Amino acid sequence: MDLRERGRLVGRALALGGALAALTVVALVVSGETLRFASEKVFAVAALVFGFSLLGWSGSVFAGEGIEHFQQHIGGRADWSEADSRRAIVVLGSVGLGGMVGASLATVALGSVA
Amino acid sequence: MISKRFVVKRLLLLIPVLFGVATFVFAILHLSPGDPARVIAGQRASEEFIQQIRVELGLNDPIWVQYGRFLMDAVQLDFGQSYQIRRNTPVKQVLRYKLPVTLEMAIYGQLFGILLGIPAGLLGAIKQDALSDHLTRIGALTGISVPIYWSGPLVILLFAQVLGWFPASGRIASEFDIQPITGMITFDTLVRGNFAAFESAAMHLLLPSLVIGIYSMALISRMMRSSMLEVIRQDYMRTARAKGQGSKITIMKHGFRNALIPVVTVIGIQFGTLLGGAVLTETVFGIAGIGTLLVQAIQVGDYPIVQGTVLTFAFLFTLVNLLVDVTYSYLDPRIEQ
Repeated sequence: MDLRERGRLVGRALALGGALAALTVVALVVSGETLRFASEKVFAVAALVFGFSLLGWSGSVFAGEGIEHFQQHIGGRADWSEADSRRAIVVLGSVGLGGMVGASLATVALGSVA
Repeated sequence: MISKRFVVKRLLLLIPVLFGVATFVFAILHLSPGDPARVIAGQRASEEFIQQIRVELGLNDPIWVQYGRFLMDAVQLDFGQSYQIRRNTPVKQVLRYKLPVTLEMAIYGQLFGILLGIPAGLLGAIKQDALSDHLTRIGALTGISVPIYWSGPLVILLFAQVLGWFPASGRIASEFDIQPITGMITFDTLVRGNFAAFESAAMHLLLPSLVIGIYSMALISRMMRSSMLEVIRQDYMRTARAKGQGSKITIMKHGFRNALIPVVTVIGIQFGTLLGGAVLTETVFGIAGIGTLLVQAIQVGDYPIVQGTVLTFAFLFTLVNLLVDVTYSYLDPRIEQ
């Protein structure tokens, strides 16, 4: 996977996270919650996803190759690989980071409208 | 020889781990119910007073501002001040007093696990299927199966209540007043040359360390046994024996170091379990360490203490795993490649 493809993958995930978070903030406000509550909860959920992915990415880098070799050693047929794992976690983390940014921007936008 | 590049690479990987843990803790605390300002102000406080506290703590700032501030403070090891448990005391200061208590117990527990687990595993592997092997396996299985909240009271009942050999709780007899140097009481008493106090501290520490180390000992002995059994069957071991080398020398010189690699992994991972187990052990033995501090902080909603404690646990755990990685590369230089 070249740099441009990677960038596109991360960009799409960031946009997806941002859009999801912004929509959720709007939906919560429309349903009667305060802007502060909606902003804090959506940002925190996105941060949870981002934090989890950071830990997962580090875990993949720390132990991924070892797990891959171990699988080969025991003759396992799983298609799991360190590179795939890192890619999946980067997508997840980008959704989380996008969500944090999306929730912040939606809060600012809704705050200025109000 | 351990290369600097390997250690630096591992050290750099600590950054995303700690950043991830910090983000995770921040998110969980903001998702959990309860208002820290209300906790500080008390149940009967007026709404104005609660608002004033919110402003003082920056809780009215947007959440991304709070997140940024939290990360910047965490980088400087500044976790703020305790809301409730040690009101207005910096968390760093609270942790400085509590952390050595837990570390001391975890280190002795780990030592206990290593010193008993490795010989037991070796014995089991060398004398496979003999009575000693069966006994060590039964011991290991029991150690893995028994939870701390059950083994703790049982050990207290037997050794403190029935036999009266050891004290049931606390860190040192009340007649000793030891000024802390490191906070690790056995070390401090030795440095101050107060051997009577050292004896008292060691007697107090033995039961909690035993309880916390039983699980570790069981896991280490099982891993050592299976790893050693695998190594014993390798061709190079057969060759060494065929050359006329005695079986003890063959095992200790050629087998032991190779069999240690998976055991070192278990020891590293176990350290995290020991820190987690400290929460229960400290509660059972009435020791005021970081484990009981964390439980209290969660109960009363003292967020800065929770954040500081969890980040400290995470830092220690990653640091121990870094040491494990470095030990790996010493035991098997191919790992660095």
